[in-house]
Amino acid sequence: MIEVRSLYKSFDDFQALKNVNITVPEASVYGIVGPNGSGKTTLIKHIVGILMPDQGSIKINGRPVFDNPEVKKTVAYVPDDIYFFPQANMQDMIKFYQSVYPDFNLERFEKLVPLFPLNQRIPIRRFSRGMKKHVAFMLALSIMPDFLILDEPMDGLDPVARRKVWSLIFQDVAERNSSVFVSSHNLRELEDVCDHVGIMHKGEIVLERSLDEMQSNIFKLQMAFSNPPPAFTGLEILAEHKTGSVIQLVVRGEKDTILNEANKMEPLMIDLLPLSLEEIFIHELGGLDYEITSTII
Amino acid sequence: MINIISIDLKNPKPIFEQVKDGFKNLIICGVLSSEEKIPSVREMAQELAINPNTIQKAYRELEAEGYVYQVVGKGTFVAPVVPLENQARIDELILEIEDLARELIYLGVAKPDIISILDKL
Repeated sequence: MIEVRSLYKSFDDFQALKNVNITVPEASVYGIVGPNGSGKTTLIKHIVGILMPDQGSIKINGRPVFDNPEVKKTVAYVPDDIYFFPQANMQDMIKFYQSVYPDFNLERFEKLVPLFPLNQRIPIRRFSRGMKKHVAFMLALSIMPDFLILDEPMDGLDPVARRKVWSLIFQDVAERNSSVFVSSHNLRELEDVCDHVGIMHKGEIVLERSLDEMQSNIFKLQMAFSNPPPAFTGLEILAEHKTGSVIQLVVRGEKDTILNEANKMEPLMIDLLPLSLEEIFIHELGGLDYEITSTII
Repeated sequence: MINIISIDLKNPKPIFEQVKDGFKNLIICGVLSSEEKIPSVREMAQELAINPNTIQKAYRELEAEGYVYQVVGKGTFVAPVVPLENQARIDELILEIEDLARELIYLGVAKPDIISILDKL
């Protein structure tokens, strides 16, 4: 379990993190979303113990992470800007990882080689961006991590590689109860893979929920009426939109209650759909800076 | 075996429901027979590249609805008889039949024809 409690961090007079509280339960996949510059990477660098907080605490399985090799042994980190030693090839990096991570599992690494066929003898700097990510994942998974911290992990990967990587990560979650903390600016992508989601905005966590909770209490209700529609009493409506004779409502509540209430109005047609994460975000938070303002240049 | 369940990421239906409905269909059609073992959470997660917690949730709901049962340490198996006490689901399906029949009538299919289709089942 990863626990971040009232974390504050500023760089000069820029407040990068403000009172951040998150909990990543064991064997869960936690996604953190937010626009560019909202503090995702800064938060991640605190979780892996690279940055020291101004205030607050970060604990992994109850123990502080900063300057704590015992804890860091269990944490694999795939940063957004991956670093390998200049001139190092994969064999050199394996040797380095073995010297730092005592649990490095060479057998597992060898199993991953056929999945990501790369020339192990040439310097990694000659690889493409995506191939460097492959190497980073192979190394990260080989240290047998209890915690996988991934910063924009799928950037630069093709769809086939993405699927391979997620499949490997999910095996670790299922089998070894690893926890995954993953950042992205793409809500759509996180929705398919995460079971917990936190939304960051300007250095703060504005929403933290399990996807189950989110999907079970906000719905999109579509109805059509032959007569002018009745007043929608008895429903908690967050938004209303009308196209021709079809009325689209965003409603909060239990599925059955909503359907009962809606059926009482005798609509011609009725459709109740769960909201996508993106839609929830827009309705819960008014979209904050996610609103698209168009500028003509 | 695992690939008979297909996940459509563009479908607004949550993934766990797609997994759940996929298995239900296989069980109802008889593709999965009773007492047959269904893939483990881990196998499913690996094959479909889906969060194991999502699959776990689908399995839990299938168990709650009586389609499968879990044996600790052994796996998940198709339950012998699909129970009839699941009134909520029955009501839901009846509503769907009504909708479909209404559409057929609207499209010009005569009522007796629809009834004869049902008789054939």
